[in-house]
Amino acid sequence: MRQPAAAIAAVVAMLVAVSCAPAQRVDLGQGSGYLIAAIAGEPDQLDPQKTSAYFSFEVLENVFDTLVEPDADLEMRPALATSWDVSPDQLTWTFHLRKGVTFHDGCPFSADDVVYSYRRIIDDKLANVDKFSAVTDVVARDRDTVVIRVAHPTPNLLTNLGGFKGMAIVSRKNVESGRIATHPIGTGPFAFASQKSGDSIVLVANPKYWGGAPKVPGVTFEFITEPSTALSALQAGEIDWTDSVPTQRISQLKGDDSLKLAVTPSNDYWYLALNEARAPWSDPRVRRAIAYGIDRQSIVQATSYGSASANQLAIPKGNPWYTPYDRYRYDTNEAKRLLDEAGTHPGKMDMLVTSEYPETVTAAQVIADNLSPLGITVDIRTVDFATWLDEQNSGHFDMLMMGWLGNIDPDDFYYAQHHTDGASNAQKFSNPDVDRLLDAGRVETNRAARQQDYAKAALIIADQVSYIYLYNPSVVQAWTTNLSGYEARRDGAVRFRTASLTGRAGDQ
Amino acid sequence: MTLPAFVSHPVVRFLARRVGYSLVVLIGVLVVVFALVALVPGDPVRIALGTRYTPEAYEALRAASGLDRPLFVQFFSYAGSAMTGDLGVSFRNGEPVAQILLDRLPATVSLAAFGIVVACAIALPAGIWSALHEGRLSDAIVRITSQFGLSIPDFWMGILLIALFSTTLGWLPTSGYRPLFGDPVGWLQHLVLPGLVVGFVAAAILTRYVRSAVLEVADMGYVRTARSKGLPPRVVTFRHTVRNALVPILTVTGIQLATILGGVIVVEVVFAWPGLGRLVYNSVAARDYPVIQGAVLLMAVGFLVINLLVDLLYAVVDPRIRLS
Repeated sequence: MRQPAAAIAAVVAMLVAVSCAPAQRVDLGQGSGYLIAAIAGEPDQLDPQKTSAYFSFEVLENVFDTLVEPDADLEMRPALATSWDVSPDQLTWTFHLRKGVTFHDGCPFSADDVVYSYRRIIDDKLANVDKFSAVTDVVARDRDTVVIRVAHPTPNLLTNLGGFKGMAIVSRKNVESGRIATHPIGTGPFAFASQKSGDSIVLVANPKYWGGAPKVPGVTFEFITEPSTALSALQAGEIDWTDSVPTQRISQLKGDDSLKLAVTPSNDYWYLALNEARAPWSDPRVRRAIAYGIDRQSIVQATSYGSASANQLAIPKGNPWYTPYDRYRYDTNEAKRLLDEAGTHPGKMDMLVTSEYPETVTAAQVIADNLSPLGITVDIRTVDFATWLDEQNSGHFDMLMMGWLGNIDPDDFYYAQHHTDGASNAQKFSNPDVDRLLDAGRVETNRAARQQDYAKAALIIADQVSYIYLYNPSVVQAWTTNLSGYEARRDGAVRFRTASLTGRAGDQ
Repeated sequence: MTLPAFVSHPVVRFLARRVGYSLVVLIGVLVVVFALVALVPGDPVRIALGTRYTPEAYEALRAASGLDRPLFVQFFSYAGSAMTGDLGVSFRNGEPVAQILLDRLPATVSLAAFGIVVACAIALPAGIWSALHEGRLSDAIVRITSQFGLSIPDFWMGILLIALFSTTLGWLPTSGYRPLFGDPVGWLQHLVLPGLVVGFVAAAILTRYVRSAVLEVADMGYVRTARSKGLPPRVVTFRHTVRNALVPILTVTGIQLATILGGVIVVEVVFAWPGLGRLVYNSVAARDYPVIQGAVLLMAVGFLVINLLVDLLYAVVDPRIRLS
């Protein structure tokens, strides 16, 4: 028995030796000084035009460029295009491209790349083809000029072209070699270096970036799904940045000087929609009764521990397109009065939610409780997302809860959702005034007049209860005090191009 | 025509029979894995393509996945490809499934090996001690501790260990994985915490089996005989009792090892461990059926191989099997 005992002793000794070594940042073999960012999941693929996963965009934001891009206030600024002219009839946009830009593989960037990228989205009907709904033609006039023709004046064309990296300019060679999904090549501040499946993605700085070389030599994105692990890693100095933060600990972290915490209301929003093709939800008074019957604050508390902002319209405060509105309050008596007025007392409601978005399941329980004093039994139907989409599209629901993410222009917020012919108007809302205003907003080039159109439309949408708006979730991010030159953005884009690291605690 | 003599050797016949069983099970697994995609609600091609796609893209992917062919043709094609190591490509990024699985294997094997060593290091002494002191205080302590180990959720244990050893004491990294070849020290440092969680949970299960296996043998007549003829207690314990209890212990250890190798989903998620469990977790979330199929198949094969090895070990430790 001496030998096994000795072996066990040796193993224990080895463990003790290893565990007594101070925890240190282990180099991933890509050089030191890299910024280490923990994101909550692994990108599904790295083709910016094909992915719809936020994890992918967190990484690709740093790899790719668009013609124009949103600044901190989500106004469009020059990126790969340095300037643009619009013809007097508003139907021809001429973009002047930045000169001397190269892709990460060294190939020069030119107007042909823009045309190829846009034609790929249009011809292959990729997820973002709607952004080109007004576009009739994209041509390269010369090496440095792209001309885009539109069927009617399109004030939100810049937002459509640059709102997010789904509209990235890609390399034809990269696409045709079939490698873009795993080895993307862009023109952005960082170049893709390597990916370890299930573990991390490494980007290296692009010293020739047109906006100036990044201050860190590279960025490593680690995939840490469990928020409490990511927070521990941040506190232990193993990572520099994360957006995988346990929401229940936000209030506690706000007072913590050892790290920086950003809780920024986003342009995303969550809503309820009642199926207007079904009685009694076709009656706006009944829909209004539901809007009075739910307690937004409890829903916000239950879904986000209070980190989200309750809202009765889609666009959050602080956004240039914000419209104040507070008609609704949690008032069961008003809800009952409205139901009496409508002369109907629905006893049951089929509420469609999906486990893909756990907040819908959580909120449904609060809503079921809120509506029971009205005599409404909410039958919560939790399905997988593919089924959810089918049920939504075929109108098999009384009420559903869902969110819209990544909106910038007001057209993104309203048209598809509330226009009679809108592609996502599953609730079958139809109001001629709203249609007219949304159509007008699409072509109105005067900013103030356009703002008026959308404000009016938003009020009708809320008064007539096409959607019952619930809240805007927050972008929650935490980073070490050693990280500077980084700001959390309301569109959730994660940009490390100007980030720098100083005196890192874990460095030796 | 006579068969070579070794074919009739009992061990060879025993193993041949076991390999035969395994092949039958493997075919069953292939059917189940294949049925996974055929039976799930919704059209996998549509799920793979997302909400918007051209009819051409739909038909192209359908044809490329072979889903336009009759079901039984699809099955034989899948089974045939699988036998040669071709498990198709991921819906998500078009990478070969076999490559994705191979990338994840070292992390899972590391975790399983470390976990099973920890489990055996705890469970063998604890279980034997407990059995030999049946009914006494030390037995009760072992039994209560193992019950406790079974009852603690592994994610909770993981979070507590991170809070203690990483955040508070700063001894070990919170999460992540380093390859053994290239960074052996980092490998071990990153392995300790998740390995301990896996090991503790497995030890809790294993201890109870070791205890009851030893107890059963200790009641046998030959143990009483060995004791009454004056053999030293150590000889009675290890040569007569424990050795004869090894067959059930081996079986359970093998099952535990195979289970851990199949991916400890919760532990891998908590520790951001790039193993098979997390791959399955992510692939299920993304409905990446080819990867799910491949992973299930790999786990099943792992189970079968480990069971075969355990069978082989039976023959080594137990002359009754060797000689029957």
